Amino acid sequence: MSPDERERLHAVWADRPGLLGFLGTVDHKRIAARYIVTVVGLLFLSGMLAIDMRLQLSQPDMRRMGPQQYNEAFALHGSTMLFLISVPVMEAMALWLVPLMLGARNMAFPRLAAFSYWLYLGGVLMLWLPHALGITPDLGWFEYPPLSGPAYSPGHRADIWAQMITFTEVAALAASVNVVATILKMRPPGMTLARMPFFLWAMLVASLMTIFALPAIMLATSMLIADRLVSTQFFAPAAGGDVLLFQHMFWFFGHPEVYIIFVPAVGFVSSIVETFSRRTLFGHVPMVLSILAIGVLAFGLWVHHMFAVGLPRLGNDFYTAASMAIALPAGLQMFCWIATMWSGRPRFATPLLWVIGFIATFVIGGLSGVMTASAPLDLQLTDTYFVVAHLHYVLIGGALFPLFGAFCYWYPKATGRMMSERWGVVAFILIVGGFNLGFFPMHVLGLEGMPRRIYTYGPDMGWGTLNLVATIGSAIAMLGGIVLTGNALISLWRGKPAGADPWGAPTLEWAARSPPPQHNFEEVPVVTSIAPLWRHGDLPVMTGLATDRREVLVTSVIDAVPQYRHHSVGPSLWPFVAALATSGMFVASIFTPWAVVWGAIPIGVALVLWFWPRRPRSATGPLARR
Amino acid sequence: MNARGAIAGLALIPFLLAGCSREARQLASDQPQTAPSGPADPRTARYAANFYQVSQGGRYFTWYGCGDCHGRLARGAANLANGSRHAVEALYTAIAAGQSGAHSDYAARVPAEQIWQMAAYLHDLSRHEPARNRRNALDQQGEPQGNRWQGPLQ
Repeated sequence: MSPDERERLHAVWADRPGLLGFLGTVDHKRIAARYIVTVVGLLFLSGMLAIDMRLQLSQPDMRRMGPQQYNEAFALHGSTMLFLISVPVMEAMALWLVPLMLGARNMAFPRLAAFSYWLYLGGVLMLWLPHALGITPDLGWFEYPPLSGPAYSPGHRADIWAQMITFTEVAALAASVNVVATILKMRPPGMTLARMPFFLWAMLVASLMTIFALPAIMLATSMLIADRLVSTQFFAPAAGGDVLLFQHMFWFFGHPEVYIIFVPAVGFVSSIVETFSRRTLFGHVPMVLSILAIGVLAFGLWVHHMFAVGLPRLGNDFYTAASMAIALPAGLQMFCWIATMWSGRPRFATPLLWVIGFIATFVIGGLSGVMTASAPLDLQLTDTYFVVAHLHYVLIGGALFPLFGAFCYWYPKATGRMMSERWGVVAFILIVGGFNLGFFPMHVLGLEGMPRRIYTYGPDMGWGTLNLVATIGSAIAMLGGIVLTGNALISLWRGKPAGADPWGAPTLEWAARSPPPQHNFEEVPVVTSIAPLWRHGDLPVMTGLATDRREVLVTSVIDAVPQYRHHSVGPSLWPFVAALATSGMFVASIFTPWAVVWGAIPIGVALVLWFWPRRPRSATGPLARR
Repeated sequence: MNARGAIAGLALIPFLLAGCSREARQLASDQPQTAPSGPADPRTARYAANFYQVSQGGRYFTWYGCGDCHGRLARGAANLANGSRHAVEALYTAIAAGQSGAHSDYAARVPAEQIWQMAAYLHDLSRHEPARNRRNALDQQGEPQGNRWQGPLQ
């Protein structure tokens, strides 16, 4: 590519400067970075809530929080962690990495990605602005009716929670559809499905699961809002409604959600293990099959969240068996990672340390999961601290540790700087050590009968010591989180320059510059192996994409045969305006049902203008003369 | 943000704060358990138009079987449905002491907290949609219903 063409390519993909450029950008890297910065901020707030609750529980008979404040604290903590952090951050990683890993210049639907972020931000504000005004949902992260129904939750606290779900789920659906289309239709020539890196498989499966799981909860929370706003009777048993319907629909989403969070983490772990063991993944095909198996099985075991509800015995048996079955593919993945490290030449840099922390912690979480999956034992453990311990082991151990590893792994690619290894190890030890110190005692507390969601307990219960240990452990882990964030911030200025491929990694994103330019790659790479950068010193490329307009390559679904050059849309303010109009409709619709009618008009206008066709020839061709 | 936007934003604040006090949830133990001291009693503002207190008041209205005489929407005896025309403390007195000797001993039989809440409920009642009242009653069918209670829902 001549320097002239290179300059033109830069100019074509550049964002406008200033506020309009900021609001209108469709650069997948900028959008994903916004997601991640928002998530880091929320992690801090939500972590502080956790520390607040731990302080309250550190001694018996503490009076620093009342029951109402405690209810608000755990509801806000859980809702933020599950809906505003775990799911969105995995989509953000996909938005950032998928085009780079495909050698593509942008996502399939660039403006949809922008819309997704703005709507997600609306969801964040929906929960946290009312909290700043003292109106906080107070029923936990799943708000079962009738407790959340009109007769037991007057006011708008439950509405705020339910509508926050709508925000984040629309945002998640937008992101997932985008990821699926990008992975299936924008792979570089030669990257057949068989040569697709495992990470992309993980993101594909997680996004498909999102598309199938989220409508269930949007339906459930919309029915709840209808019950509360226009007095429908979906969840009123006295009128033929069914409160269990809500639980079924919630967990039909809620259980796959756990895997929507975990499956991308499997992708992070596999990428890191592969790079730092310096060999391709052991058992690539069984790994792909196991992740597909998880994707299917995850939809068949939601009832294990409801054993204590009182279901038919056969139902309990079936879901116990299904829950245990999912340990098979998960276990297979564990063995494949261990075999990869065992047969490779592992280099224990911070990302790989996080993987080891993940394996140790997640195995404990998996084992307590097998315990709670057994219906008779679950009847004893339901709503005790054992469940709190289990869910934190699988979510923090199974998703956040790989995420921290991924953060350290791809940080040089995103910023062009290396993070400090020494402080990385300090953060690792503090977080993994503090986490295990903080959460392992909760297993014992649960077996001793301490219920979850209590704001205090009497001294005669004998839970004081272990609770104090748990509080100290959480504080250490929080300190580690601050070290990790501080390391990332300071390394922005002080870190060593990274170069394109500091870890010697095999996948395509490491062929781009660090940080990648707005168009990611100058030419489309051609792939001949599952680990392209290990196969070729100098990557073969395909030329022919335009340099004077935004163009991306569309290829066939299975064999990635080039099909056509697709015009990729440029920056636009309309996704932001559409998100604003949608947010207005969502917020107003917790006050009046008419908001759905009147709110549809600005949304419609924004969408029409967003999709208004631009025909280049209408300005220059024969039509223009008329 | 320009100056006009800032002024509009500031103008919104009182409404937002008013919204918050309606959402506040103060539990019984935080309140003195006594009758109102007069029209200037600061508790009036905490009960009147507060979602939680009004909802609790509606609950006790059902539990004590008030609807048996007054009707479910309180349009029967003594027509309480236009409670918003009366001050909360006047409604408190009407519940606690009764009129024409109907329930003169309620002050001794019903906790002050609950009378406060029922007074707030009646004060708010004319603003309630009947459909929403019926919907709440559906959810509360398993709760006590005065003398007619048949036990929890099966």
